[in-house]
Amino acid sequence: MDQHVHHHLFEVEGAHVSRLEDLRLIKGEGCYAADWNLPGQAHACFLRSDHAHAKIVSINIDAARKAKGVLGVYTGEDAIRAGQTKPLSMLTFAGKDGKKALIPERPTLAHGRVRFVGDTVALVVAETALQAQDAIELIEIEYEDLPVVVVAEAALAAGAPQLHDNIPGNLCFEQEAGDAAAVDAAFAKAAHVTKLKLDCTRVVPNPMEPRACLAAYDAKSESYTVHVPVQGINMMRMQMVAYTGVPEDKLNIVARDVGGGFGQRSIAYPEYCSVMMAAKALGRPVKWVSTRSEAFMADSHGRANYITAELALDKDGTFLAMRLDWIADLGAYLHPAGPVSPMRNPVVCLNGVYKTQALFGRWRVALTNTSPVSAYRGAARPEIAYTIERLVDESAAQMNIDPAELRRRNFIPPEAFPYKTPTGSVYDIADFPAVLDKALKLADVKGFAKRRAAAEKRGMLRGQGMATVIENSGAGMFPKDEILLEVAADGKLTAYSISHSQGQGHETTFAQIIGDALGIPAERITLRQGIGEKGLIGNHTGGSRTIVGAGTVCHIAAKKLIEHATPLAAEQLGVEPSQVAYAKGEFKSSESKKTITLGELAAKKPLSVTGEGKFGSTFPNGCHIAEVEIDPQTGVTQVVAYVTVDDCGTVINHTIVEGQMHGAVAQGWGQIFGENVVYDLETGQLLTGSFMDYAMPKAGWINDITIAEHTTFGTISPLGVKGMGESGCTASLGALTNAVMDALRPLGVPPLDMPLTAHKLWQAITAAKKGN
Amino acid sequence: MYAFQYRKATSLKEAGELLAKDEEARPMSGGMTLIPTLKARLAQPTQLIDITGLAELFGIEVRDGQLFIGAATRHQQVADSKVVRDALPALADLANNIGDPQVRNRGTLGGSVANNDPAADYPAAVLGLDAKIITNKREIAATDFFQGMFATALEAGELIMRIAFPLPKKAAYAKFPHPASGYAMAGVFIAQTADGVRVAVTGAGEGVFRWTDAEAALGKQMDAAALENLTLSTDNLNEDIHGTREYRAQLVKVMAGRAAAAVAGK
Repeated sequence: MDQHVHHHLFEVEGAHVSRLEDLRLIKGEGCYAADWNLPGQAHACFLRSDHAHAKIVSINIDAARKAKGVLGVYTGEDAIRAGQTKPLSMLTFAGKDGKKALIPERPTLAHGRVRFVGDTVALVVAETALQAQDAIELIEIEYEDLPVVVVAEAALAAGAPQLHDNIPGNLCFEQEAGDAAAVDAAFAKAAHVTKLKLDCTRVVPNPMEPRACLAAYDAKSESYTVHVPVQGINMMRMQMVAYTGVPEDKLNIVARDVGGGFGQRSIAYPEYCSVMMAAKALGRPVKWVSTRSEAFMADSHGRANYITAELALDKDGTFLAMRLDWIADLGAYLHPAGPVSPMRNPVVCLNGVYKTQALFGRWRVALTNTSPVSAYRGAARPEIAYTIERLVDESAAQMNIDPAELRRRNFIPPEAFPYKTPTGSVYDIADFPAVLDKALKLADVKGFAKRRAAAEKRGMLRGQGMATVIENSGAGMFPKDEILLEVAADGKLTAYSISHSQGQGHETTFAQIIGDALGIPAERITLRQGIGEKGLIGNHTGGSRTIVGAGTVCHIAAKKLIEHATPLAAEQLGVEPSQVAYAKGEFKSSESKKTITLGELAAKKPLSVTGEGKFGSTFPNGCHIAEVEIDPQTGVTQVVAYVTVDDCGTVINHTIVEGQMHGAVAQGWGQIFGENVVYDLETGQLLTGSFMDYAMPKAGWINDITIAEHTTFGTISPLGVKGMGESGCTASLGALTNAVMDALRPLGVPPLDMPLTAHKLWQAITAAKKGN
Repeated sequence: MYAFQYRKATSLKEAGELLAKDEEARPMSGGMTLIPTLKARLAQPTQLIDITGLAELFGIEVRDGQLFIGAATRHQQVADSKVVRDALPALADLANNIGDPQVRNRGTLGGSVANNDPAADYPAAVLGLDAKIITNKREIAATDFFQGMFATALEAGELIMRIAFPLPKKAAYAKFPHPASGYAMAGVFIAQTADGVRVAVTGAGEGVFRWTDAEAALGKQMDAAALENLTLSTDNLNEDIHGTREYRAQLVKVMAGRAAAAVAGK
């Protein structure tokens, strides 16, 4: 395959293609999970625990059962009877000393004990949603409170309250990676050691579309149809099969538009499985739509990683070794992939963009009386990048070396690729110095001193900070990605994909790739996702992998279509296949100059192909530079400039890349300056249970972001793509924090942890001033 | 939301009677606090008496040195009113910074004042300007009206008709928005009047209050420097996960300084 032809085409024709799906979505013509309705449907409402940790002494559902319109009331007994007790666990690999993870059971409705505020305790199904909600209030529960632990480090300490009988010390899993002896030796001879304790705080994903599901059971075929938001129907089905015991061929998942995902959508939540149970028991479709309050309590939370990190340097600033002690807070139970992200992704990019040779880390998975945690845009890639980049910046400051220069001294040089890292990853290709140089220029780093002095005159503290990062795109756990292409008689094509857009714009990028390969306009290709009947194999959209996997397969499928259709066209044209040339949707005979289009071929006989491919991890990377001003009177930080230079390989669509970057940087901004889940330390109550207390970033708070690319063509995909859905989160946490610390360091403020709220910064500034 | 009866009142008299008859009935204006409360099932009124269609509750005019604004006037209407902007620009600015566009186009002056949320913006202007709350029964001075968190002098069946703001020489409002909700974490309204300076603070305490030390200091010198040696007592200030009492005291001082600078035209 000639890469350069395609790079050229995307650059020229695909540069700023508007998203094909937007008109439909903006006009309100999308079909989200709550938009599905079936004849005879009943409505579900959950009773959730308002205790963080308690024994369920008794549940009385008599009054609820008799309430108007109520069709069924279900509790933990029913969940156990239905065999819904064991969610899928993807944490199957061995940890320290070959030990496997201890997996807690989780009946889809709590049985005997509740373990976090929001745990589902009972399900009421009624004729209307309002009746179900009314009946919930008639359920009487007697709880006996148990001691509560909401902090991961405390949960692992001796004498902590125990969440699950089969998990001593609340420790599910422990692993080590790297070379402890080499690290010890390097630290022993280091000229300088930087040590930081870093909290990557817990956040709520808060996609715009709340969770919802509509489950129907067909007794004749003993099969279920479940309408639910997904990142890919196959991932959802695999998890539901494991949790409910329903055979795979008896479970059809249907999804169309999905309003935001961030990792939160790939889980077969207990609520979905309970609703399936009720649909079967009642013989009627059952629908549940989550409230925003429930989303705060019981959607998977993100991040919640707590890291002690040390970097050893020689006198010239060469990184000799890094050592980590990492605690991942997974909440009260394990979501299927929840613990996999912090156990896998940090190890894959443990050295970051640097040639540090000695690396060692210990990772522990802890359980707490909090909402279970799972992947959240970046899935521990931002955490490891943040850890490294905070260490690097603090080291630069402590050793009085320019932070860009310190990075440059330690970069893996461009000529070293493909580069095998100490933990066994192979970075395919990158050019870190070029990315850095471009960012330094765009951020006008040379002019910063002047801007800082001017700010000082206005009474403002100005800082600049950067992060140079790399991340692994997801390899995917399904055996391959398939794309089915069907040609219609009118020459239009339909492509079917398992990888499912939650806002990423697959309908546009996939159509561009196929259109590019076939030489036809993207508008002639319609993408359909969430169609189970086609029986396709494929990964869900997550881990920045879709353009590398399904995206590349779009290209392969299109090429296969030409190959497959050429002999068919030759037959129609009455010539040998070798005498037929394809261009722009048309086959032409070199002899007779007769032509036949793809559509005309399809009119004669159904025309379709399935392309497939399997693509592993590749490594998007980049440099972000943030510039901030802090008002010392109030502690408010304004991000006055933000520059991103990313290498995501071939860019299919700049508009979409920029949109992804805006969103991801905003998410990083939210986490650094506001978003933070707070549980009461004693009662385990959720103190940030609504937008009144949980500070989501707002549009007006984020200034213009300067976005640039520096492309090296990835070698994993023949398209040269690398993925980029998460890189904005990966880089922004470190860049923003480093900028704030750069502004505050001259006052003597010690390293601070996210969230860097105005309140926290004012306190730090005030304390520093008092100390002086 | 629990089930309730909805009635659109056809006259102020009818609304007053309906409310007086049924203690569990609630008047509804913009509903910006009431509706979320209902949705969270934190209130269970028997009836909602919608008063937003009553002509008696509308109208903006300046008369006898006072600005009268009807209770059902929406925040955006106050912000956009030429009458308000000319007579009392500080109030137009305040209204223009309440919540978000959706809230400003639904929420009303009377609803906000009657609700007396300790972090609402309007109470600062009402107390800072020593306004009068004119109800269907009487006139109530601002000082008597606000009685702490969500508590007012309003009696059952009593509805705010309009508010009369005495026009100051100059006035300004400075607000530090709560990072999540956007309500005032500290909002300070300063009015320079013939009788001296008034400083009203919202958001930081259990309800709107006057900062008399600042009034005295700013009466002598209208700028932030005048406040430098003052410390607002933290005794009655709020403390929560978003800020300590000390932080709120600091924010009040900074916002007071910024409002003072605006009053002085600096």
